[in-house]
Amino acid sequence: MSKRLRWRLFLIFLVVVGMVAGYVAMGYSNARREWIGPGKPPLREALKKGIKLGLDLRGGIHLVLQVNTIDAVKAERDDAAEQLQTQAREQGITIGPVEFPGDHSFTVAVTPQTDERKLDESAKRFLPDWNATTAGGKWVFTLKDLSRRTIEDNAVAQAVETIRNRIDEFGVAEPLIARQGTDRILVQLPGIDDPKRVKDLIKNTAFLELKLVQGGPTSDRTALLAPHGGQVPANMEIVEGAVVAGQREQVYYLVLKSAVITGRDLKNARPTQRQLGGNAVSFFLNAAGAEKFAAATGANVGKQLAIILDKRVKSSPTINEQIHDQGEITGSFTPEEANDLALVLRAGALPAGLTYLEERTVGPSLGLDSIKKGITASVTGALFVFVAVVLYYRLSGLNAVLALILNAIMLLGAMALFNATLTLPGIAGFILTIGMAVDSNVLIFERIREELRAGRAPKTAIDNGFSKAFATIIDTHLTVIISAIFLFQFGTGPVKGFAVTLILGLLISVFTAVFVSHTIFELMYGRRQHIDALSI
Amino acid sequence: MELFRQTNIDFLRYKWIAIGASWLLIAIGLFAIFVQKGLKFGIDFAGGTQIAVRFAERPDLDRLRDVLKSANLGDTGIQRYGEPERNQVLIRVQQQKTEGRDVSHDVQNALRAGLLPGGGDPAKIDLNRDGKDVFAARLAAADPDATAGRPDVVAPQHYATIADQILSYRAEAGIFGSTADLDKVPGVSVAVRNWLKANSYPGPFVLLSAENVGPQVGADLRKKALYAVVWSIVGMLIYIAIRFRSLPFGVGAVVALIHDTLITVGLLALFGREFNLVVVAALLTLIGYSVNDTVVVYDRVRENQRTPKKEALESVINRSINQTLSRTILTAGATMLVCLALFFLGGEVLNTFALTLIIGILIGTYSSIYVAAAIVVIWKDLRSRRKLQVVPAAKPAAPPPPAAAKKKKSGRR
Repeated sequence: MSKRLRWRLFLIFLVVVGMVAGYVAMGYSNARREWIGPGKPPLREALKKGIKLGLDLRGGIHLVLQVNTIDAVKAERDDAAEQLQTQAREQGITIGPVEFPGDHSFTVAVTPQTDERKLDESAKRFLPDWNATTAGGKWVFTLKDLSRRTIEDNAVAQAVETIRNRIDEFGVAEPLIARQGTDRILVQLPGIDDPKRVKDLIKNTAFLELKLVQGGPTSDRTALLAPHGGQVPANMEIVEGAVVAGQREQVYYLVLKSAVITGRDLKNARPTQRQLGGNAVSFFLNAAGAEKFAAATGANVGKQLAIILDKRVKSSPTINEQIHDQGEITGSFTPEEANDLALVLRAGALPAGLTYLEERTVGPSLGLDSIKKGITASVTGALFVFVAVVLYYRLSGLNAVLALILNAIMLLGAMALFNATLTLPGIAGFILTIGMAVDSNVLIFERIREELRAGRAPKTAIDNGFSKAFATIIDTHLTVIISAIFLFQFGTGPVKGFAVTLILGLLISVFTAVFVSHTIFELMYGRRQHIDALSI
Repeated sequence: MELFRQTNIDFLRYKWIAIGASWLLIAIGLFAIFVQKGLKFGIDFAGGTQIAVRFAERPDLDRLRDVLKSANLGDTGIQRYGEPERNQVLIRVQQQKTEGRDVSHDVQNALRAGLLPGGGDPAKIDLNRDGKDVFAARLAAADPDATAGRPDVVAPQHYATIADQILSYRAEAGIFGSTADLDKVPGVSVAVRNWLKANSYPGPFVLLSAENVGPQVGADLRKKALYAVVWSIVGMLIYIAIRFRSLPFGVGAVVALIHDTLITVGLLALFGREFNLVVVAALLTLIGYSVNDTVVVYDRVRENQRTPKKEALESVINRSINQTLSRTILTAGATMLVCLALFFLGGEVLNTFALTLIIGILIGTYSSIYVAAAIVVIWKDLRSRRKLQVVPAAKPAAPPPPAAAKKKKSGRR
């Protein structure tokens, strides 16, 4: 064996062993993460876990959510208007009614009694984020663009954080939660077996407010307002009761606008079982919240307190005595609902509502089915190709098959090492690579045959065949790789997996079809001084 | 074995017939796209909702239709799919007018409400819907295995393992037909089994997949897909321009490429196949494949042109096609074998993907010879003829229309 040949064999050996070792190592490291038994996971488990499976094979949920940042802007607007009114009251400035003509503006009517100089002073001091202009006897406050953008940006960042907290508390392995563009959030959760629950968990705004009840509950809105002259008083609002199964009518409550405490005052929340049966959520307040709560409940013993979740009254218990730092939310909860509500209360409220722009859920049984079918098709396809190549090229065909098998092994190793994700189209890409990689062998073998027909000696024919086919092989690979790169650029999830598999497979096939095949030929014929005929 | 031993077929003799056939195929495709059915966009591009569910028994589609009508979702399509014994149904709901309605949620709720009298007892476990946590938590709360007094078992872990077993069984078997199926789950004690039988019910269906694409995302994906196709064609153009530095070769390859893409899309429309992300992936692969095939022939043409012997271009190209013929057929054949395996065995998602590639490979192989190579010949023919016409400068030097060229061509033969 020549020195050059020995080097070639050694290199091939090194690459293949490296790839296989890489695969097994990645497999162990992945398997260990999920392994609950004692000791280290068995090799069988590691071999299964070498390559990360995409959501379409593993099952899971892919969501693109839009943060309705306008909610946060509106909340800021309401706060600002509220603050201006409070300031006016405190400083004795008389102002007319406040109106909300747009999402990021509000107007304050001025009366002849209004001290506009003092109003201006107060606005400058307390509403630095707002531009004030006057028009037709009204002051128009508009949110500054920069402030608006900051509010929107914070809302999205906070939503990402909140979702992450919730998912972490729920316990999902390898979640992906990422901001996309200005107001979108991408959430990918593998291995979810109950997508509905997770979706509810993410989307639940979980905005908790406790407000003092001034009237109701009743199904008659006008009766609610009768004591107030048919008008909703400025410091009150009407809130709908939560719809409970079995209940016939929608009820309404009249409550004080300003909340006694909100979800922000919570320290902890946990699901509890009530003595009478049924599930509830207990919450515990932080120091500041407890102070406010104690003051409010102490002053309002005998009155009702509305527990409002996402703008709906969940329950309205009567305050029997002063309460300091804890309370209970009741309703008709299943154990899981109570658990999830406690979870979202702990994790914090979303700053704005969410809209699902895109959802792709794959159940575990479909994923399993896809894997089975993908593998069956791949193995069958590969066998077809192998048989065809051996029939057509005899011993040289066997050489090609060996190269193709090495190609497949190395592709698996490369995918593991690059931490690439295998998807269902990726499986197709894998097998398509085999179909296309055979092209290089065909190009070379046909060249060798031509050389033989032209009367060249077998050894020369082999060398010429390889060298003449080489440029074409590079050409054919490059064209497919170029389009695969565009595919990668465009692709989402499964399609991206396909592109990655194809690119890696083709790169490897240059090595196997050219270098490995040539080496095998040399092994077969190199030692002999004289060859009569090639088996091709 | 050799199938094509030194063939010497005059391929280019039939080029005009072939070009006619190409136009015919393109016309059929365009007809299918624009007149007949239109390009059927899948929900990736059209937006909307698609839900696949599996039932324990053969579902009555009319009943499902009635049930869904109550959910007020607008146009819904319901069809069976997959192997008949699996009782799988695909429900497709058109794009809703307002963004953000969780349609997949509404469809599932409507199905449950309609098929399960009373909507199911929330205190019981739905064997076909609930996840691992629900099983584990409810079992741990009830503790049928009486782990409380045993120091050797940790209850949460014990029941988590059981929940795992049940869910793997569900994934494997597809669906719980009745609570009696719990007997088939391995590694579960009789006590647990009996408790589950009393405290669970088999929900009407198992959710296989749910896809919901809003109008924004749909429009986004359509734009991206179009860009990807256009840019990869441009990429090929640039590659060939650099590689061959010759206008007719470049034009030939790109025309062949557009030809292949157009016909493939047209035939998919004709067959009523849905156009989705995976099909676009197949199309882009095809773009690579089509050029790949063309480049092999071109490479050989250039190599043959390098020999000092003076030879007519048409004959050089013919010779090159013959020399690469066996490679062309073999490679197409090998790739085709793989695609056939995917087509027949790969399941729903890969079926259209494979079909796209099968059509594409057939057309792409043909177009390497009859479009890419033929264009080079025709181009050079026209150029040399125009030169002849320009030199006398008697007539206005308008380029001869193809019909005239065709007549002259056949006359010369």
